[in-house]
Amino acid sequence: MNLLVDGMSHIERPITARAAQKLRQTPPQLHPAQLVSNMWLQSALLVAACISPAAAIFSDEVNHIDFHHALLGAPSPDSTFFLRPSAASNASLLYTISDRSILGAVNPRDGAVIWRQNLTRFGAGAGSAGFMRGSDGSNAVVSAAGQSVSSWSAQDGKLIWNKQLPGLAADLEILELEDPASKSAAKDALVLSGGEGAAVLRLLDGDSGATKWEYKDDSGDLPFQVSSSPTEVFYISLQSALLKGYKIKVTALDPVTGRQTRQTVLSSENEITGPESVLHVGSNIASPLIVWSDKAQKALKVNIIGTKPVMTLNIESTSQSTRELQKTDPAALEIKKISVHAPQKLTSLPHFLVHYKTAKGSWAEVYHVDLKTSTAKKAYELEFAAGQAVFATSNVHANVYFTRISELNTGVWSSASSEAVSVSRADGWAYDEPIHAVAEVIPKGKSVAVRAAVLREHGVWELIRNGESAWVRHEELIDAVAADWVDHGDQQHLAHELEVESHESLLGAYIHRVKRHLCDLEGFPEWVKELPRRVVGSVLSDEVTNLDSFGVSKTVVVATKSGRLYALNTGKQGAVEWHVQASETAPWDVKGIVIRPGKAIIYASDGSSVTVNTTSGTVTGRFDGQNRKFQTFTVLESNDVLGIQEDGSPASTFDVPGFLVTTSSDGRILGWTAQDNKTPAWEFVPPAGEKVIQAIGRPVHDPVASIGKVLGDRSVLYKYLNPNLALVTAVDEKKHTASFYLLDGVSGKVLYSTTQAGVDSAQPITSAISENWFAYSFFGDAVTESSAKGYQLVVSELYESPVVNDRGPLDAAGNYSSLHSNSGQLLPVPHVISQAFIINEPISHMAVTQTRQGITTRQLICTLPSTQSIVAIPRPVLDPRRPVDRDPTSAEAEEGLFRYSPFLEFDGKWFLTHARDVAGIQTVLSEPTLLESTSLIFAFGGDIFGTRATPSQAFDILGKNFSKLQLVLTVVALAFGVGFLAPHGP
Amino acid sequence: MLIAPLLLLCHIAVASLVISIPASPILPNPQMLPATTHATLTTLPSAGNVHVLTASLSHSSTLVFPELPAQQESYLLDIRSSEYAFIPYRVDVAADGSILGVWETFRGNPWDNRGVEKYVVDDSRQSPDSVVIEARAVGRRGFYEERAKFSPLSLVKNPMILMAIVALGFTFGMPKLMENMDPEMRAEFEQQSRASPMNAATSNAMTGGGFDLAGWMAGTSPGPMASTDSASGGTTGRESSNAARLRG
Repeated sequence: MNLLVDGMSHIERPITARAAQKLRQTPPQLHPAQLVSNMWLQSALLVAACISPAAAIFSDEVNHIDFHHALLGAPSPDSTFFLRPSAASNASLLYTISDRSILGAVNPRDGAVIWRQNLTRFGAGAGSAGFMRGSDGSNAVVSAAGQSVSSWSAQDGKLIWNKQLPGLAADLEILELEDPASKSAAKDALVLSGGEGAAVLRLLDGDSGATKWEYKDDSGDLPFQVSSSPTEVFYISLQSALLKGYKIKVTALDPVTGRQTRQTVLSSENEITGPESVLHVGSNIASPLIVWSDKAQKALKVNIIGTKPVMTLNIESTSQSTRELQKTDPAALEIKKISVHAPQKLTSLPHFLVHYKTAKGSWAEVYHVDLKTSTAKKAYELEFAAGQAVFATSNVHANVYFTRISELNTGVWSSASSEAVSVSRADGWAYDEPIHAVAEVIPKGKSVAVRAAVLREHGVWELIRNGESAWVRHEELIDAVAADWVDHGDQQHLAHELEVESHESLLGAYIHRVKRHLCDLEGFPEWVKELPRRVVGSVLSDEVTNLDSFGVSKTVVVATKSGRLYALNTGKQGAVEWHVQASETAPWDVKGIVIRPGKAIIYASDGSSVTVNTTSGTVTGRFDGQNRKFQTFTVLESNDVLGIQEDGSPASTFDVPGFLVTTSSDGRILGWTAQDNKTPAWEFVPPAGEKVIQAIGRPVHDPVASIGKVLGDRSVLYKYLNPNLALVTAVDEKKHTASFYLLDGVSGKVLYSTTQAGVDSAQPITSAISENWFAYSFFGDAVTESSAKGYQLVVSELYESPVVNDRGPLDAAGNYSSLHSNSGQLLPVPHVISQAFIINEPISHMAVTQTRQGITTRQLICTLPSTQSIVAIPRPVLDPRRPVDRDPTSAEAEEGLFRYSPFLEFDGKWFLTHARDVAGIQTVLSEPTLLESTSLIFAFGGDIFGTRATPSQAFDILGKNFSKLQLVLTVVALAFGVGFLAPHGP
Repeated sequence: MLIAPLLLLCHIAVASLVISIPASPILPNPQMLPATTHATLTTLPSAGNVHVLTASLSHSSTLVFPELPAQQESYLLDIRSSEYAFIPYRVDVAADGSILGVWETFRGNPWDNRGVEKYVVDDSRQSPDSVVIEARAVGRRGFYEERAKFSPLSLVKNPMILMAIVALGFTFGMPKLMENMDPEMRAEFEQQSRASPMNAATSNAMTGGGFDLAGWMAGTSPGPMASTDSASGGTTGRESSNAARLRG
């Protein structure tokens, strides 16, 4: 939760602890929406939009001033595949289900997400293993996660059917059998689910999701996998052996009726200790295989599913390279991992590849299965290659191709011959170890073209096209938990020099300045050299001026749950500048990022911290925690960092004059003075039954351009500007109320409070405070039939007095204190004006745009989770002084006020995300730039999104519509005109 | 006696709610809606913990809530799409999960202020398996600002330019017009313009009735004091010499 630090210096002595404040309930209860009887409000859509000075994005600025990383999460290795989305299309898409249960289709050409579906919305718990299968030409992909099985249109991701099962899905397979009776192209899905007391295998109809048959296995075996051959369906379970290990039980079922035809038990109890011991279970192939190895990894055990015999293939490399290695470095041949790659297509040849990974490299063997004799024979071997490599299997009709992607090259082998079909060199790779790959091979004459999607450690997903990296997706960014803007410290040197000058004598300062300017001349030749390029560049570039030097190109450092740090450049479409593993503890519970010139310090909840250089991304320092639990960290005025413990008390006393407001784990708000970190100066306890859910203060950078609001008749309403305001949200889950308390951070006094009835505390309740106003949003139910039902947005403004030109009791006071009465005057209570609006969707997070001077109109940035967008509502629309039930007078109209309407429709021009689909945003950051008009926006938590907000339009930037050519032509025309009209002498 | 309520309990009238999105002038092709489009049923539950029910858009442009919780509720039905705005509905559900009625509703209005009735349960008939209502799109959001394009026409529309063009036309066109005129006509016209009071006033002003600022500034006409004070001839002399120099 948030903190306030107050630097008021006029407090003379420490204050004593106070009892909990008695709540002052201000009587004027703000009713949700002042209801008008306008029946046809909906038709009066977007009225507000016409009046508000919305500055929407131009369509030619998309991808120029904004960027978006649409993330899926780390793809699941066994549910990632290339598939043609429909029988008619030639190009295929890349489909996957991620560890976040997000289903997605990615364009292999540029890595853009075509569509995605978050399965957690259908009751799939995040993190539960999900499955996704597709069949070529069936126009559909089927997913199973948790209890939900769904079929999706492969082209656009729309739902075809959804079925909720009583048990959790354990495996999913598409039944590729051609059913001559059915006309539809949709293939039926086999779903194995467990956890209902018995394992159940169901065949779901491809068109409707209806259950065609189900097979129940109540033997108590571990349901393992489903497999199918052209004639049979196999249910594979692991039967617990008497002493230890598991036997593999294969039950063959009739695909039409689901009746058991036979059952075989393979005695594998000596080798198999759990599901992870089985290397491979094939499916959708003429002869599906089960492959496992013995414990010493000396032999492979292969069984053709449905048959009794188990073949034993000895693992021994016979190739030249391994024999040489055997002599020189036998340890290099110690197998670390075996993986089996087999095609999954009914028509494909029964060939498979076994990949042996060692610590230093890998080799592979290709086997052919003889269907008549049911034996497997080694066909050829791929030589030992140093370095990490991954294999992928692809089919072209019946032919099987194996693609090996290694650091040095990408090679494609046909399963039939040991000659490489194509080898393309790679320049090494810049990313971590590969885990898994899928490849697509397209024959081109004798050679082939290949593209492979390689999944690497840390959620890096890369597409390698003929050996070259085509695109990279950093899927790990979906786990971003904290982010902050980096200060590269470029201005640091100049600031220091200026400081020196200001402390010297007049002459000394002058000499220093001359010297400094002479030093600056060093860069002059460079600057002159750059000049022509800059001039040409500025004429040709899209943007009239390169704004990078105005602070619009900033770096954001992002910390993820998995302990990694990323630096994203907002000026380069969010490109990853560097990434580094900063912490080995997972999950990394980041509680605060402190930015210093040139470095960032990331604090975790255990008090440990990591310092990184923000330019290079190298970890420069580490500090182990003291095993204390911290809820947050704050930066004091003296630039010290202070940890706040879970109970709300500061970890140490702090040495700056001022106050600290914290929240404790038991839902109290505490105020602290500098000298005492044991007893709070005051505490605020909400009434019984209420629970504090949020406490926020004004942003650290919150400049106020004007202390008053000039009305239409030139009178002034003075703003109540208190830097120490805290807005506390408390909910009563039983009574369904939400209360909002505005506290003075120094004294703990309640300045204003309001309670809303009929509030659903399970839905997002969020608030924002800035300047002299605050806003909050919640779902309000119709308490009575005559009240409204829907999401509400309430905005309140604070003024010093309800009377114009009046500054209230503090009129002439130069100083005031929250604690001590000056000449009998206590801290005045603000005059609060509120207005409520019904909005059509929930708001999950609020932020306020920040600009350098605060002159630009502010916007309330709201995250809309249901339409997956971010909207910036201009403050003039949210003016609580809008006239109710009447048209504005001319004076009010001059002020920019327009008639209040209880329903606030979000205008399309307010959507910062425009047509983008920005999902899962947790936090939105706003950062001022050197341009007063522009505020940088960065959103993270799910997707990553960044843009520039110009609430009062880009008044200090020459936009794209400024035509330099036109300007030049005008000047030329004028010169010509002057020459023509000039008086000519005799 | 006990059987009757039991029978009632056995009769589970689980009706599904189907919202179809038809083509309309605002939304000509519902197939264009993105896959993230969905519908929600929202209420503050009196008991239980289902706060928001969600239905995803299907490939046939329908949104299906297969079954509603058996609990008496009055739901707010929204169709969520970032680009299109749809009318919200009120869906009343009986304690057995069957739908009592569906009405249009108005945001920011009292909840009992119901609009057009879309469906209401008929006691005489068996409640249907599914209640089908049509979603009505009422608006499309324009996300982008239109950039003002440069066009010569807009330049011509500028009043200043128009005035300049007219003035230019007069300057060049008038002498041409005079030249082409019949000599007799011209003489008559000249006489007429001489006689006109407007012209008289102008010529009066030109000849000294008023002060010719432009001429004075250019040094071609005497200053304001020139006619009254002949002693300041030196000044005018200097000015005229200045003017001569300028022109030379």
